[in-house]
Amino acid sequence: MNTSYGFKEYVKDIFTGSKSLVIGMGVTLKRLFQPIVTVQYPRQKPIMTPHFRGHIEAILFDDNKSHHCVACGLCARTCPSHVIKVQGEKTKAGDKKYGKKYFIDFTKCSLCGLCVDVCPEKTLKFSNEYELAFFSRWDGVMDLMQRLEERK
Amino acid sequence: MLTIKTIDDININERLYQLNLGPQHPSTHGVLHFLLTLDGEVVVKAEMLIGYTHRGHEKMAENRIYEQFYPNTARMDYLSGMIFNTGYCETVEKLCGIEVPKRAQYVRVITSELNRVASHLLGIMDFVMGIGAYTPFLYGWDDREQILDLLETISGSRLTYNYSRFGGVRVDVDQAFCDGARRFVDRLRGRFKLYKDLITDNIIFIKRTIGVGVISKDVALDYGVTGPTLRGSGVKYDVRKNEPYSSYQDFKFEIPTKEEGDCMARYLVRMAEMEQSLNIIEQALDNLPEGPVRADVPRFITPPAGDCYHSFESARGAVGYYIVSDGTRIPYRIKVRAPSFSNLFVMNKILPGHFVADLVAIFGSIDVTVPEIDR
Repeated sequence: MNTSYGFKEYVKDIFTGSKSLVIGMGVTLKRLFQPIVTVQYPRQKPIMTPHFRGHIEAILFDDNKSHHCVACGLCARTCPSHVIKVQGEKTKAGDKKYGKKYFIDFTKCSLCGLCVDVCPEKTLKFSNEYELAFFSRWDGVMDLMQRLEERK
Repeated sequence: MLTIKTIDDININERLYQLNLGPQHPSTHGVLHFLLTLDGEVVVKAEMLIGYTHRGHEKMAENRIYEQFYPNTARMDYLSGMIFNTGYCETVEKLCGIEVPKRAQYVRVITSELNRVASHLLGIMDFVMGIGAYTPFLYGWDDREQILDLLETISGSRLTYNYSRFGGVRVDVDQAFCDGARRFVDRLRGRFKLYKDLITDNIIFIKRTIGVGVISKDVALDYGVTGPTLRGSGVKYDVRKNEPYSSYQDFKFEIPTKEEGDCMARYLVRMAEMEQSLNIIEQALDNLPEGPVRADVPRFITPPAGDCYHSFESARGAVGYYIVSDGTRIPYRIKVRAPSFSNLFVMNKILPGHFVADLVAIFGSIDVTVPEIDR
């Protein structure tokens, strides 16, 4: 504590205090006539960048009108949280395997992007959805192949 | 039987009482528990009880492959996640001897410095809000929002970026990002006057910070304090300058220091450091080389047996990663040296003699992230 706090310092403090108060008020006043910087969220939706990381999504390719998943399971093995489960199917012997079901548990996903990086067929991408709140835990479990069918 | 004591009979120790500040307190930046022994309003002894957000990141590393540890790194210090993420990749690259392309190094520098500015803005504004100024906080977060938007355009995330990969970065930066970064640099340079008006020249801020929480040079060195807290005590040490990594040697920048060691000095060092970061960003954008952003690395990395220590400067101080590899795809041990731990425990030394209200100012000026301490 400053012991030599006399009348002179007291008056000086009042003066500088009022000055800094006026300056601060001036900043606020100036701001009042400037445009709003916040997004009025429910009425106004932000546009997400192409690289935005929502949950993962299977890409719809034009050549076969479907995904390119071969159910190799690399994504499931790489996932740090073990949230991916892929089921493959072969229609007949000698055919190539393809992904039939692709489950992710989004509630546990940490959005690291390792599955997208590791995919040898490049059939995974991040969706642009950001309203990802659920009412129950099972709402977070989604089948990407089913979502792809719905998008077709 | 009740015995009535006179004032002379009261033992000095009975006048002391204990106060629990936290773990759920708005000024403790997360869950940190202060057990204060008070004499009236003056702190006699302070204990910091940590561990409320312990998640066992170091142990988790021993059970997963090197790639799977990416998301954990950003979750230790969530305010400078990009720096922690990049530092982890640099450590593994050092261990494996991977040469990172120059463009990737520059992109890492740009993103790390942007993240450092964002972290400093948050740290300063949280500090200022802790001691009662709400207005600057909103302006600071407006600026921070620009950085988060900018980093979102390349990494896709706003806080836990996961942008660096072994041997480079995930996505190349485009022209829009570079232009946005330049616009941001110009914008923030214009805002420093506003911060000076609102914070630095404010009489309440001056009264509450000058001469409060003085960390002397010797104490800071004894406790292993690093980062802006150490530089606020007059020690010129910055890992970026003293042991340059990731092409920091290419850039011209100063290490701002202050001799006073009080809360004001730490605040001013952070402010000056943001200006230096903007200089680094501008230089890196000017000289951004062409070329690939990722070296040719295998899909799953297998470092040779051995160990490696790498140190880098996060927004809070010197971070160290120590990785022991036994030649498999799973690390044998990863040790993280977090700066917040030593920065926090210097408060043990400096708090006695201060008011409880000063604790908030000191704690805010040291700028600690609790999940980084607990890991």
